Amino acid sequence: MNKRKLLPAAFIVVVLVQLYIPAKMIFDRENILSSGREFKFRAAPVDPNDPFRGKYIVLNFMNNTIDIQGLDEWKMNESIYVILSTDEDGFAEIKSISKEKPSGNQGFVKAKVGNLMFNDEKKLTIEYPFDRFYMEETKAPRAETEYNKASRDSTRTTWALVSIKDGEAVLKDVMIDGVSIGKLHGVNDMK
Amino acid sequence: MKILKEIPELVDAGIISQETAEKINDYYLQKNSQSPNRLILVFGILGAILVGLGVLLIIAHNWDNLSRLTKTVFAFLPMLVGQALCGYTLIKKTNSKVWRESSTAFLFLAVGASISLVSQVYHIPGNLSSFLFTWMLIGLPLVYVMNSSVASLLYLSGVTWYACEAGYWTYPSSEPYYFWLLLMLVLPHYFLLLRRNPGSNFTAFHNWIVPLSAIITLGTLADTNEKFMFISYMSLFGLFFLIGNLNFFSTLKPVNNGYRILGSIGTISLLWFLSFDWFWDSLRKDGFLLSDVIFSPEFISALVITAIAIVLFYRQFRNKQLIEINPIEPVFILFIIAFLIGLFSPFSVILINLIVLLIGVVTIRNGAKLNHLGILNFGLLIITALVICRFFDTDLSFVVRGGMFVLVGAGFFAINLWMLKKRKENE
Repeated sequence: MNKRKLLPAAFIVVVLVQLYIPAKMIFDRENILSSGREFKFRAAPVDPNDPFRGKYIVLNFMNNTIDIQGLDEWKMNESIYVILSTDEDGFAEIKSISKEKPSGNQGFVKAKVGNLMFNDEKKLTIEYPFDRFYMEETKAPRAETEYNKASRDSTRTTWALVSIKDGEAVLKDVMIDGVSIGKLHGVNDMK
Repeated sequence: MKILKEIPELVDAGIISQETAEKINDYYLQKNSQSPNRLILVFGILGAILVGLGVLLIIAHNWDNLSRLTKTVFAFLPMLVGQALCGYTLIKKTNSKVWRESSTAFLFLAVGASISLVSQVYHIPGNLSSFLFTWMLIGLPLVYVMNSSVASLLYLSGVTWYACEAGYWTYPSSEPYYFWLLLMLVLPHYFLLLRRNPGSNFTAFHNWIVPLSAIITLGTLADTNEKFMFISYMSLFGLFFLIGNLNFFSTLKPVNNGYRILGSIGTISLLWFLSFDWFWDSLRKDGFLLSDVIFSPEFISALVITAIAIVLFYRQFRNKQLIEINPIEPVFILFIIAFLIGLFSPFSVILINLIVLLIGVVTIRNGAKLNHLGILNFGLLIITALVICRFFDTDLSFVVRGGMFVLVGAGFFAINLWMLKKRKENE
């Protein structure tokens, strides 16, 4: 093929790839949202920002450590699978961790090894792949304030609602006492 | 144009004939109509980049009130507009640089806007570096399909930013080895630019941004054996200086030759730093075992860059005499010798000081020979900075330090006066 024909063909390929990548991102997430299993993770949000994607709140998860036997077995930043169960209050709990992808129908999510603690008890921190919740720029700082209020009141709980399918996760919402953080009074003020 | 105003005077004075005058007029008339209007090109590109960045910022607001479906539709909108503009350019405006560069610049940014919006809608994890990585990879083909230098410059800035995010600004940091691959991927476009339009502004921008990007990113390789990074950097600066002195680059305007300027400033700055005893002191104390470092990224990078620089050095100087060598060029080799000596003895720090002094003196001599006050004073500046560095070394007596300052200060006056006097005599 000569250059005259090749260039438009190459351009069309580029256009299709550019369209395919976001479309694939959307399709994968929609699939998890519609047919995945929901878990609630207890979390604490704080608010930084990203130059291109705007304001978000970072979620610091509670109960994200697990006791381990040997430290040599695990490396920081390594991919692992976290097998989840639910406690009596309905929040996600770590049942076990594994390097191999678990089989069967149990709930599990792909995550990364965070810190390894060497003290009396050997502990491994899990870094979940859903620690960013993007919010409208005016709402993100208010959400953090609202959370701080809620955390002083021990009867209120904050959690992340996550849909999980086949190890992949999509963060659906962040809730304080059952109300979506974006719809909370104080966050959603239209002043 | 100035020359066109002078023509009647030249004709009246009988220096050029009427015929020649008309020829000159015609030449400039034709040249002006042929050359693409540079102003429109600049405004076109700037406009496209500003609109693209504006779209990115508007998207970053995160419109909570819009439904997920609306947002996903908007995610594709800027990209489709950009693709349509690029497609139109390819079909109808193939020869218009303005259309090509502006539409590609817009599409490049629109691609970022699109994946940014999808990331927000689905709270897709991943930090800024992984976002930039994806974006640059999708944007890269535009450089070649659209044959766009603006896309190439945006890409080079983007991959450098990615490497800095991953290597310097995130904890725990990871070495962004992919950067070097990403850099290689855009080099063919750069080589084509060098071959076809060596004098163009786009080429000049590349002559700066390519070495700058490598200099900024090399430091991300530093891990636990950072002492070898000094060798890597010294060899990289030496390599750039040698590249800048290749026949091809040395014919460029000095300001378009980023390699030469970055290479010389880098080499000298590093030498100033090394003229203190800190580095050498810790090198002697810490030492290292070859078997520990031989597979470290710092050692390998030092080895590879030095090897390339030595080959280039050899090719350029096998037919030259010692006196023709610019003193900055062999510094990276001398530094490795000093490094090896420095493992055992404190003599290296003296050696480095001597090298800086030598570079200063030779630069002054070159300035005098070329009758160039700029080069001459650059040489003096090198020596002055060395003296200032020594001012902070407390192990020299105040009298010695004071004497050095007086001597160098007097030297500044004397050499400049001598030069100006020589110029007057010549006139």
